[in-house]
Amino acid sequence: MTITGIGLGALYFLVASGLTLIYGLMGVLNFAHGAFLSIGAFVGLWFATSIMKEATIPNFILAMIVGGLAAGFFALLMEQLLITRLYDRHIDQVLVTVGVALVVGAVLGGWFGNDLRLFPTPLWFLTGINFFGAIIPADRIIYIATAVALLIGNWALLRFTRIGLIIRAGVENRNMVNALGINVRRAFSTVFFLGGFAAGIGGVLVSVYSSGVSPLIAGTYLIYGFVVVVIGGMGSVTGSFVAAMLIGVIKQFANYYVTGLGDFVIALLLAGVLLVRPQGLFGKRIS
Amino acid sequence: MNALELADVSVRINQAQILHGVSFTAPKNQVTALLGRNGVGKSSTLKAIMSLYSPTGSIKLNGTELIGTPTHAIAASGVAYVPEDREIFATLSVKENLSLASRSKISSEKMSRVFEIFPDLSTRQEQRAGTLSGGQQQMLSLSRALLNDNQILLVDEPTKGLAPKLVTEVADALAEVAKRETMILVEQNLALVKRIAQKIVVMDQGKIIFEGAPEKLSDSVWVQSVLGVSNRGKHS
Amino acid sequence: MTLRWKYSRYFLIVIVAALFAAPILGTNPLSKPGLQQTLAVAFVFGALALTYDLLFGFTGLLSFGHALFFASGLYLTCIFINHSVFVWWIAIIASILLTSLLAFLVGAASLRTTGITFAMVTLAFGEAGHVIVNRNFFGLTGGENGIALNAELIPQIWVGVVNTKYLYWSALICLILTYLIIWWVTESSAGRVFAALRDNEMRVQVLGLNTRNFKLLSFVIAGALAGLLGSMMLLLAGSAAPRFAESNITIALLLMVILGGAVTRWGAVVGGIAYSFLTTRMQDLTQNGLFAGLPKYVSGPLSEPAFLLGIVFILVVMFAPGGLSGAYYKLRLRSISKKYSSSK
Repeated sequence: MTITGIGLGALYFLVASGLTLIYGLMGVLNFAHGAFLSIGAFVGLWFATSIMKEATIPNFILAMIVGGLAAGFFALLMEQLLITRLYDRHIDQVLVTVGVALVVGAVLGGWFGNDLRLFPTPLWFLTGINFFGAIIPADRIIYIATAVALLIGNWALLRFTRIGLIIRAGVENRNMVNALGINVRRAFSTVFFLGGFAAGIGGVLVSVYSSGVSPLIAGTYLIYGFVVVVIGGMGSVTGSFVAAMLIGVIKQFANYYVTGLGDFVIALLLAGVLLVRPQGLFGKRIS
Repeated sequence: MNALELADVSVRINQAQILHGVSFTAPKNQVTALLGRNGVGKSSTLKAIMSLYSPTGSIKLNGTELIGTPTHAIAASGVAYVPEDREIFATLSVKENLSLASRSKISSEKMSRVFEIFPDLSTRQEQRAGTLSGGQQQMLSLSRALLNDNQILLVDEPTKGLAPKLVTEVADALAEVAKRETMILVEQNLALVKRIAQKIVVMDQGKIIFEGAPEKLSDSVWVQSVLGVSNRGKHS
Repeated sequence: MTLRWKYSRYFLIVIVAALFAAPILGTNPLSKPGLQQTLAVAFVFGALALTYDLLFGFTGLLSFGHALFFASGLYLTCIFINHSVFVWWIAIIASILLTSLLAFLVGAASLRTTGITFAMVTLAFGEAGHVIVNRNFFGLTGGENGIALNAELIPQIWVGVVNTKYLYWSALICLILTYLIIWWVTESSAGRVFAALRDNEMRVQVLGLNTRNFKLLSFVIAGALAGLLGSMMLLLAGSAAPRFAESNITIALLLMVILGGAVTRWGAVVGGIAYSFLTTRMQDLTQNGLFAGLPKYVSGPLSEPAFLLGIVFILVVMFAPGGLSGAYYKLRLRSISKKYSSSK
């Protein structure tokens, strides 16, 4: 059951990683992140059903990546058209993302309806794997593998590339990076794209987990994404990973004993963490 | 020939007027010292030049107007800014701090240029900048400015809060740098100013009250009293 | 010369009087129960938007969990009445008191954070509330379908389609009451502190005032009034349903306040009434096939109210951040300055 919880946590991490970077670097609370999930899911679905004939694992991974790219480009578009115009108007930036979330949800709902559509899933996903005596559904492995891949990729980007350097410095002190002659805005765009990409992939995986694609699912995951980001610490990807796993496992256990208790427990956990350590587990101290 | 020309520069922040029509010039290849008590607007003037505030008026760098240009473009065109609180990136290593600041790809040649002046840093390249001492952080902050070819350096209170021995080290480094660069130096340490500055600009309450050669400064008792100077020399 | 039109107070009194009189003044649109019901709901949302404005527009607290208190008033009143715990009017008072307590607890925890984190925390609390009513905890909250109010236990004057006008008047009275209370609060010295908090918290701290307590006060007042409006909504809807606890409601309130203009009181009320009214009408029209002739690509999104709302919202935030009332005052300013410059 722990593995299942970690699997769920992996999904939460995919959503939260983009959110935390976007907030850490730009101070933008991106409500449209759920929209990125939905876009990734729908584009992935379209790709899988129209272009691919068979639901094989390589095809699935391809569909996942396509969905991610679509969401990434949408994120970039949103950033260029809307967010940049509202430079330093933080509250307004948040509001605009709320607007985008509404519009995207309405468009997808209007075009495709709100019912669940099955995502073509490779059969292997539905098998059970024997792991030290317990049987786990194979799809959980995929979630965890993807999340870990994302975590490693993210770490590598931040540590070894110049843009990663700029992002790390920018999260700490944006103005000084500008004063060194570096256009931090370009780093923003990259972060938005990456956040969208991660969310898009998350969207595809979430549809598999939830047995279907629908615009309505995004909302719940967005909220959990926020909870993960707050508990893990704003701006810290490692924090999101740890918090996501924690939350996934706790929710799984709580739901096992009393159905529906999971959500409630998580809310209590959030309140608890905030009372004790308002900046989250890995966050910077709020002065 | 003037490297920097400020004409009627004013800055207003949230209802408060910080700078009132500031005008002065900074000659090329010289050190212009910006003096005044705390809070008169010296740091704000530097920030206005960097567009970290939004000034009105005119600021020309070697003939090019800076007002209206975004901060990163100003810095990239050759303006090195060494801020009052150093503002190094604590979570990055010393090497990474330097690498970030270098406008062209960082090379060992550039790094050795820096380490020559600040040998303390060469042994701490992989150390996280947040764990450096105050003096070492100041050296790192200054080093960032030395990595590139700049038209002008804006240095804000580099010796603030440093122990006397470190003040000497930093002063020596600045004197060395001043030989080749144009600089605007904000400082409270008048001995340092006397040592390297060829021109003095004094501010009070957001305005310029004196502009001229250091020798002329001793003539004006009033200005000296504003600065809180007496004939007792400050520790160099 | 102020920005307020000197006849605005009289204008307001006339409008309110007209709204009161309309249901019994011969045959006008407001003499029909349908429109009365729609407007009554709009009044409740207008008032609710105003309570949200106290939080967001006046004190600068971006809360995403305000629906929690609305739902609390709604459900508590229903439960008390249905289970005959209290007689109806004590039930209402009890639910308001309990909702205030809830607001106090949630506020005390949430206000340990600020800004964006605060927004997220309130979101989480709001969702927790939604989950509680949705999952039928303790068998009291009725799950997905909510609970129907036992109509025999409330004054009969509010029961039945023919009595809609009494509900209409009650809603209008609630709106006026809310408006007066909030007007009193914002004009009081505490209200001044709220406004100062919004603009510059540090300055207020320097004055030696405990900013958190003032924020908490604002939070509790807004929550308590939301609870009152929840009771009113219960009477109007005849039941308590989980959808009133969703974050969508809070987001709708945010929209109302932004569209109407965050800094003014009447802006929020107008925004709330207009939004509520228009959404209901849109839904009716869509059901009656307004968009039937258009291709699916166009009609699909159009039939979802969120689409137009989202677009209008984005446009307002980007180009007219003061909302309706902001635009109104800008025009007033322009006409006043024209009058001054032309009279020179």
